[in-house]
Amino acid sequence: MSDALASLGRFLPELLLMGALAVVIVADLATQAWSLARSRNLLVGLTLAGLGAAFVASLGEPGGGSLFASMIADDGLLGVLRPLFALTAIFTLLFSLRAKELDGARMGEMVALLLTVTAALMWMAGSVNLVMIYLSLETVSVASYIMVGYRSSDRLSNEASLKYILFGAVSTGVMLFGLSLLYGLTGTLDLYGVRAALAAEDAGPALILVLLLVAGGIGFKIAAVPFHFWCPDVYTGASTPVTAFLSVGPKAAGFAVLIRFFYSGIAQPGADGTFAAVGGVDWQGLIIVLAVVTMTLGNVAALLQTNMKRLLAYSSIAHAGTILIGAAALSSEGIGAIVTYLVIYLFMNLGAFLVVILVHRVTGTFELEGYAGFWKRSPLLTVAMGIFLFSLMGIPPFAGFFAKLYVFAAAVEAELGWLAVVGVLNSAVAAFYYIKVLRIMAVDPGDGELPALRFSRLDGALLLALVTPNVVGILFGGALEQISEIAQRLLDLA
Amino acid sequence: MNSLLWLIPAIPGLGAAVNGLFGRHLGKRASAAIACGSVAASFLLALGFFFTRFLAEGGASARVEQSLFEWIPSMGVEWAYRLDSLSMVMTLVVTGIGLLIHIYSVGYMSHDGGFSRFFAYLNLFTFFMLNLVLGANMLLLFIGWEGVGLCSYLLIGFWFERPAAAQAGKKAFIVNRIGDAGFILAVFLTFVTFGTLDFYGVMGEIASADMQGGVLTAIGVLLFVGAAGKSAQIPLYVWLPDAMEGPTPVSALIHAATMVTAGVYMVARSGVLFSHAPAALALVATVGALTAIFAATIALFQTDIKKVLAYSTVSQLGYMFLGAGVGAFAAAIFHLMTHAFFKACLFLGSGSVIHAMEHAEHASGGHRHYTEMQDMRNMGGLLRHMPRTGWTFIVATIAIAGIPPLAGFFSKDEILWKTFEHGHFVLWGIAAAAAVMTAFYMSRQVIMTFLGDFRGGAAMEKHLHESAPSMTVPLVILAAGSVVAGFVGVPSALGGSYRLHTFLEPAIYAGGQAPPAMPHNYALEYALMALSVALAAAGIWFAWRRYRNAPTRDASLAGSGAYRLLLNKYYVDEIYDATAVNGTLRGGEGLYRLDQRVVDGAVNGSARVTMLSADLSDLSDRNVVDRAVNLVAEILGAASTRFRRLQSGLFQSYALLMLLAVVLLAGALVLWS
Amino acid sequence: MIPLEHYLIVSAALFSVGVFGILTRRNAVNVLMCIELIFNSANINLVAFSRFIEGALGGQVFALLVIVVAACEAAVALAIVMSLYRITKQVNLDKAAELKG
Repeated sequence: MSDALASLGRFLPELLLMGALAVVIVADLATQAWSLARSRNLLVGLTLAGLGAAFVASLGEPGGGSLFASMIADDGLLGVLRPLFALTAIFTLLFSLRAKELDGARMGEMVALLLTVTAALMWMAGSVNLVMIYLSLETVSVASYIMVGYRSSDRLSNEASLKYILFGAVSTGVMLFGLSLLYGLTGTLDLYGVRAALAAEDAGPALILVLLLVAGGIGFKIAAVPFHFWCPDVYTGASTPVTAFLSVGPKAAGFAVLIRFFYSGIAQPGADGTFAAVGGVDWQGLIIVLAVVTMTLGNVAALLQTNMKRLLAYSSIAHAGTILIGAAALSSEGIGAIVTYLVIYLFMNLGAFLVVILVHRVTGTFELEGYAGFWKRSPLLTVAMGIFLFSLMGIPPFAGFFAKLYVFAAAVEAELGWLAVVGVLNSAVAAFYYIKVLRIMAVDPGDGELPALRFSRLDGALLLALVTPNVVGILFGGALEQISEIAQRLLDLA
Repeated sequence: MNSLLWLIPAIPGLGAAVNGLFGRHLGKRASAAIACGSVAASFLLALGFFFTRFLAEGGASARVEQSLFEWIPSMGVEWAYRLDSLSMVMTLVVTGIGLLIHIYSVGYMSHDGGFSRFFAYLNLFTFFMLNLVLGANMLLLFIGWEGVGLCSYLLIGFWFERPAAAQAGKKAFIVNRIGDAGFILAVFLTFVTFGTLDFYGVMGEIASADMQGGVLTAIGVLLFVGAAGKSAQIPLYVWLPDAMEGPTPVSALIHAATMVTAGVYMVARSGVLFSHAPAALALVATVGALTAIFAATIALFQTDIKKVLAYSTVSQLGYMFLGAGVGAFAAAIFHLMTHAFFKACLFLGSGSVIHAMEHAEHASGGHRHYTEMQDMRNMGGLLRHMPRTGWTFIVATIAIAGIPPLAGFFSKDEILWKTFEHGHFVLWGIAAAAAVMTAFYMSRQVIMTFLGDFRGGAAMEKHLHESAPSMTVPLVILAAGSVVAGFVGVPSALGGSYRLHTFLEPAIYAGGQAPPAMPHNYALEYALMALSVALAAAGIWFAWRRYRNAPTRDASLAGSGAYRLLLNKYYVDEIYDATAVNGTLRGGEGLYRLDQRVVDGAVNGSARVTMLSADLSDLSDRNVVDRAVNLVAEILGAASTRFRRLQSGLFQSYALLMLLAVVLLAGALVLWS
Repeated sequence: MIPLEHYLIVSAALFSVGVFGILTRRNAVNVLMCIELIFNSANINLVAFSRFIEGALGGQVFALLVIVVAACEAAVALAIVMSLYRITKQVNLDKAAELKG
């Protein structure tokens, strides 16, 4: 009992989110009679306050130790990812005010879902127990299914949602089967218990089966090939703010689970920050294969896309592959590189999606043709998109360069130089499709005389908030490494 | 004074920010003042350092270092600038010649709508270029390296309403990605091997441990891949001629005087590493010599005034790499410096000519395409109308041809001599042949452009006139530089003392030892010197004989195969195209069969796959992947189509593919364990 | 007492039936039912292991939680299927393939 009470104190961000959730549900019911705009303003304001409070509460040094009878680790990794999730949710919320697809939609359920997912993402990032992993993952999933199908009268939104839930249910079901076998093999649900049991005795080929089944569940969340098939379809069908959210939030949480499961569950730390697999299965090869395949397929399939959201979907698959390189390094440095990448990725990817939303507002299309002639209509938006895309390419002096640099450095350090080579070559391939978007925006003539774009004050603020980190990020290597260093302090390594 | 070092790059950076953010509201005069003023301030600062620190006794080994902050702690990398004799020379070239080109641009771009945007890019370029030459470690150099590439991309495509310009920008960007991949891998390899990225640290370690070959060769080759991309060497040179679509001042600044020479600078900066990796050095020399002759032959019969200069630049860069490759790094930097003077002068001169041609065409009511205005067949006799442009152009031509005592003679002859001295007789022969050609095509250009009678029509001729002083004054200064710049490196055989070389050596061989000088063989050196002057004179004489009375006589060669081969640049772009298309067909077919048998066969069992059109010709029509880029692009495109077909939209085919993949992975894991 | 292997065989069989059904059924509701089979096969595992491993009660709790979550998921899934049915008047998965490429 005292453990639970003590844990609650260090559970403040999640509690704030739950509190905000209760408030918005009541507020939504109480304001049913209000005009759409009025209730919308109120709900968004309340949600923003809740998310903001959670963001502030999640800053600062993590406590260390675990919460709720070793269900959740209150360690560095969670400490870094908590504010990242809150920030992603804040951006998503503000995006949804500007997304044409959500014009005139009631926001009650949307904000409630957003708060739920955000809290669940935090649980996911902290889970160190098989039950907790499964529960938080399912909470995130179920809420995201509804978010994807939010426009229930839209044919594509529904199709996307159906594919998402079928794919998600199969993946988590399969993962659950794997977890149940792992429970049978080790007799415990605690990840550190699992590690101890596997270190004591090799589990044999059954562990291979477990690994693959669990990899299916995690691979689904991070959209790694071959568990990525849902990704382009769902990204296209969902409304753009939701797509933006999915591409950053759950992906980051998926990587957190990957780190927890693979680094804390089936590997143990050795000397000088490296990890070694336990249980008799060398799973490093599995991650390497996934990384190479994911990067390559993502980048190559993106080349011929004609729809901006699909293109960004494949780009996000490719980025997941690049991040997997960090996971393959089997070192604390690799963990740091993953988290650094996720932090920078938040700014560059959300930025690109913001441009997609603003373009859709005036053109009503996600097709690349619709981007023609944007230089004439809004040089500002074109320049901003250029910065986001160059950052996604990983070209200095933009922040994306650091993301790639640390991941490749971790690989090289782990004597996986050739994997870094594959990564660098993939980056070169990626330049093709990113530059294509820019060419279309800057060079292709648009449709006759379209009026110049007008930005709202919110658009300006959002663009500024997302462009700035990408431009000045290159100067802040020290700060990034501090974040990375905190993230490396896993529960047992504090 | 030391603490002011960071201002040299920072001031142009600030200028870029001001012009980029507020340029539209500032007006042209203020924009120009900020842009030129910031570069001038950097130049003055650089001069200050030069006079106070480097001209003093023992100034050659002077070092000004400033570390701004700890940049990437885990790799021990700081944001640090270092000014030594090598970067001093580069800084003076970048800011000095950059300043002249900025001033020239004020006149050249005065009627352009994107005036302030142009100067913002130009300043941004200067900022990154200075980071490149002043960066104390490889990573900072890489930031500058990519930054100048970005600016080059933006400036080539500056007139992006012209499809050719947009296309050229993209080509430059993509080709450079290949080179840059080599560079960043070299950075990683260096870090893994030495645990530091500081140039002096790395070079010092190589020298003190006296390492040889092995990993050094690998690093050297990777670095050279990067250099070949940036400095347009075979086979990555294809982007530079196309880059001439950018405004002419850009061609002068970026694609002649500074950015394209960054590769040479980087090789010289890694001089110790390369001298310990003879195999990599041999590659540098060979590629350099081949590029020199290859580009020179293409330049022989080009008709576009800027294309001749572009291929000439590629060829001269080849000389620089040849020099570096035979171990004469100082000679390479010497040629880099003199080349910056005369090639900038030539480019700006050609810009002045194009400016006058376009103005005259406009004034006489013509509306011919801009490429016609750059065609030397429409020119002739311009010396009469624009004497200042003409004479400076002629001076620079004599300089590049290698006639003493102009700058090009000293630097080029030294590369030739060092090549011969180190026993690379074949490379020497190649380079000497290229020297004849250089003299030939440059003289041909002068004759076709400035001598004889004007061929553009009487209506147009009335409107031809000299350009404004803001354009001609930089020309005169650069021409003067082309005359005197060589005297800083007069060889001992001619009573000089290789002043530039002794100045550079402490930086190039930092931490190590300069190789011992070879015993003098003045007799041989005089003989070769006389020979190379004779070759240059012969080239000029051939051109004079051939074109003096019939400037456009090349038209009669239209039937000749060799002529067509050269005019069409050895059909390299076409070959890349053809192999690309063939590659697509073969690669596509292979993937198609794989699809048919494996994927479709399996998928059909449980779900029907809706097939996307497999029409291969469709792929090239899409124009998604620039046909001209390369073979890889087309194969990737074909693969992309296949991958898209896998994404059939059917849930159950996804599930099945996933299952198949998992089974494959399971098999692999079982075998692995 | 029935040995552990028997439970595991049943669960593996149930899992396989589920996977087979997911791959072959065209009807979205049928696929959902097959997914439930997978969840339940895992539940059998969890409970059986819990019974046979000394002092490991966690498995049974886990199984209870899985049942609850699976119910939530099924509710959402059926709502989405209903919604799709309202628009397209069918729930055939082959017809829901407009998003592709």
